[in-house]
Amino acid sequence: MPAPGIVLAVGVVLIVAAVVYYLVRTIIALRAITKGLDDAIAGVGELIEKSAPVNEVVNTINSHLDVAVGALEGLLVKKAGLRDAVGLIDGLYPGAAADGLRDFPDSKTTTPPRISEVYTRGVLTLARLGREAPIAVVSPEGPVLRHPDRAAAQTRDLYPHERQLRPGNLDRSPVIGSDSPIQYEPAATPGMRLARPAGGGAATAPDPARWAAGGRTSGKARQETTPDQDSQETTPDAD
Amino acid sequence: MILYWIGSLIVLLVIVPVVVVLLRGVLQAADGIVPSVQRIAAVAAAGSQDLDAVPLLLTTQEQVKRTVETVADYGGSLNVILDDA
Repeated sequence: MPAPGIVLAVGVVLIVAAVVYYLVRTIIALRAITKGLDDAIAGVGELIEKSAPVNEVVNTINSHLDVAVGALEGLLVKKAGLRDAVGLIDGLYPGAAADGLRDFPDSKTTTPPRISEVYTRGVLTLARLGREAPIAVVSPEGPVLRHPDRAAAQTRDLYPHERQLRPGNLDRSPVIGSDSPIQYEPAATPGMRLARPAGGGAATAPDPARWAAGGRTSGKARQETTPDQDSQETTPDAD
Repeated sequence: MILYWIGSLIVLLVIVPVVVVLLRGVLQAADGIVPSVQRIAAVAAAGSQDLDAVPLLLTTQEQVKRTVETVADYGGSLNVILDDA
């Protein structure tokens, strides 16, 4: 056999060996692919089978919830009126009024009143604690939200009135009693006071001895501060 | 004779490497598909296991129905107790 024939035969043998080697490995890989696809198809089949009733069940649940939401919104509007209902919803969940109520298209154009200024903050806080309370999300481990003194002060601020202001801004209460700095003359009859002197004195004469002797005590008023009043001027009262 | 040599050398030095390169590329492509298919199968199996709780939706449905009935009862009572706006 000539040398070129041997070289050609070697070449052909190498080609056949390479073809066999790589094709066998390719077949093995394709079988692995087939097995993997079979497993994937089985899993997808289970997915389809298990998720088949989900749509119907979820639609049923949503229909029930829609009926409940519609009924509650209708009850709220019936009892509170559309404007206050929108305001209450917006007070509890800021921005929720923009979505409006489902069965009341006019609610989307209703300007929500600031219900939070009518109801106390404590009421809104308790309402928020029921569901999705932002303050509870921010500080779930924080101190107790309800503080009696603070709540009282905030509630008092909602109704500004001169009697609701802090004691430091009020006139002092009169000091009464036999040791009071201002002694008022006794009334001859209940509800009537003796005539003041012509000099225009204020009302009293601080002379308990003369008063006890039955003499006239009218004279110029004298008002002195007691030590308690002095301390009150420097120490503001706690709320 | 010379042409015979040339043909033999071409087969040995050109065709054999080309055949090897082509078959190796096919094998690499097939090997690259295998892990992807195995991951797809694993994900499909895991997704199927995640849906094992789907039958609980029937319980949820029943609970929602009862809750709505209770809310309706409360709403009816409130409708009687509270005055309309």
